[in-house]
Amino acid sequence: MSQVTGAQSLVSSLEAAGVDVMFGIPGGAILPAYDPIFDSKIRHILVRHEQGAGHAATGYAQVTGRVGVCIATSGPGATNLVTPLADAAMDSVPMVAITGQVPSLAIGTDAFQEADIRGITMPFAKHNYLITDPADIPRAIAEAFHIASTGRPGPVLVDIAKDALQKMTEFNYPTSVNLKGYQPRLEPNAQAIADAAALITQSSKPVFYVGGGVIKADANRELLEIANLLGAPVVTTLMARGAFPDSHPLHLGMPGMHGTVAAVTALQKADLLITLGARFDDRVTGKLSTFATNAKVIHCDIDPAEIHKNRFADVPVIGDLKHTLQALIPALKAALAKNKPDLTAWLRQMNSLKSTYPLGYGQPSDGSLSPQYVIERLGKISGPDTIFTSGVGQHQMWAAQFINYENPRTWLNSGGLGTMGYAVPAAMGAKVGAPDTTVWAIDGDGCFQMTNQELVTCALNDIPVKIAIINNESLGMVRQWQTLFYEGRYSNTSLESKRVPNFPMLAEAMGCVGLSCERPEDVDATIEKAMNINDQPVVVDFRVHRDAMVWPMVAAGTSNDDIMIARETAPDWDSQEL
Amino acid sequence: MAQHTLEVLVENSPGVLARVSGLFARRAYNIERLTVGPTANPEVSQMDIVVSVEGHALEQVIAQLDKLINVIAIKEIKPESAPEVHDTQPDYQN
Repeated sequence: MSQVTGAQSLVSSLEAAGVDVMFGIPGGAILPAYDPIFDSKIRHILVRHEQGAGHAATGYAQVTGRVGVCIATSGPGATNLVTPLADAAMDSVPMVAITGQVPSLAIGTDAFQEADIRGITMPFAKHNYLITDPADIPRAIAEAFHIASTGRPGPVLVDIAKDALQKMTEFNYPTSVNLKGYQPRLEPNAQAIADAAALITQSSKPVFYVGGGVIKADANRELLEIANLLGAPVVTTLMARGAFPDSHPLHLGMPGMHGTVAAVTALQKADLLITLGARFDDRVTGKLSTFATNAKVIHCDIDPAEIHKNRFADVPVIGDLKHTLQALIPALKAALAKNKPDLTAWLRQMNSLKSTYPLGYGQPSDGSLSPQYVIERLGKISGPDTIFTSGVGQHQMWAAQFINYENPRTWLNSGGLGTMGYAVPAAMGAKVGAPDTTVWAIDGDGCFQMTNQELVTCALNDIPVKIAIINNESLGMVRQWQTLFYEGRYSNTSLESKRVPNFPMLAEAMGCVGLSCERPEDVDATIEKAMNINDQPVVVDFRVHRDAMVWPMVAAGTSNDDIMIARETAPDWDSQEL
Repeated sequence: MAQHTLEVLVENSPGVLARVSGLFARRAYNIERLTVGPTANPEVSQMDIVVSVEGHALEQVIAQLDKLINVIAIKEIKPESAPEVHDTQPDYQN
């Protein structure tokens, strides 16, 4: 076999792993790899900041279901990937990050641009490698892609010393991966399936508590089938928006801190949670000891460590959700044929809550623009095939609430880590993964100022994303908490972004079209104008009312029973039959 | 809190001790004692870990350890009885 450099072996390995695009920036330690990248069929997109490369890889992965790939140099290049790697870990996104490392003999000497990125990422990466022998490169890459994409997906980092990229080696890509300590269990236990089906038939108040795992497992069709089969209400968490059609009559919406009254109450009052790829996150459960106190729990997850982590599971079902639901559907059919519980009263109660407490918002009395209205119109005008990304904060919650999601992989956000600045680079990656689909980033003026430099990348690489800045000139969610919990003392939350920067001019300077809108009557025309520009990125500065708040709300650390539909306003529980 | 002894077989690879000890630190599990030694197979090392936890927390420790790619198998050594074997394919327990 002919000799190649470690760098060529790396690029050939990435090609063998099926990589078609990667996002990155070269630098000293990774420089040897960039020479064969120059000749590779893999598309390399030169970003402006490594964080952008990482979130773009995430956006690409979330839209395509494939592994997203980013590449950076040692030291600061690698540490700039830390946030996207932690983000991908929290949201179970398949990602492989390649980093250059200083030459192996310099490791441990505090060399120029040296950082122990393997040590730094150890707490959250699904796995990571430090490669100092070029012969190990193909195996490490094959294992990294296998680990990232199987089981519960996650980020894997491969750090490669510069001399390992420069030395000669043989390229020999493994045909299979066999890891003694990693064999994810895909097939659910038959007894667990039987127990789950039996428990469901004994329930008169069941709820499907649906998490992002349903989308990861491509199990949305199976979810639709089992929901229709049982006829029980469904709630979709922030990570699961799109897993079940919002238009479906059984859908009660999103649960959690800013969930609908119906979804939050369904979980609270249920006698059975049929938990599918969700992890009892604190933003869903509120105060854990008061969460769904009368409910038994069926917990279906591919990660055994999620079982009993936050909430005891009466019936744990470990396995791939698609396999699990494919086994549970016939088992449930058979069980329901013998004993079909009457869910009429339960559904009537939940539908009453759904119609009594729909999501809503007030229009500002001064005629200024309401942020919720802008987001609602974006969803309506661009339609259910559009992919939306968001940053983190009020605009994220409104985008989860006021856009109807009908399809999986159309809603991308940073759910677990809560990474401000996610929207623009994630939209870039999403548009690369789905070039024929409209991609809108709904961003805040605070978030946008963290990562907007990637619009240069988009403009230069024919990635025509659309950005809606919901400009309330504030760190809006923090300001909301200051309003509610800090007596309106607005310490360091005013960004003054209606004065500086001039977002349309900034957009134009980055090679995008810049638009602005501040009157309700101009919203539709502005969105339509943006929709008609498909050869350049577009940025719209929606200058909105700054005092709008996200409701409903379960304040942090309190019980879901204490959900408020507006400031100091609880639902009228006495009028509800619960 | 009850003490439990875990016998953990790990791949003999660089960084594996950091992976295991780091997991205990960041998930706030108390290690009473940790020893590492060789096995007959030079590619595999054995860690004996004494941990203080109650109830379901022990299952969590074992499940989280099992997630580490370099961890091959985990046995809980019960003083009065035969070892209870946990591996990467946990059996269904109702």
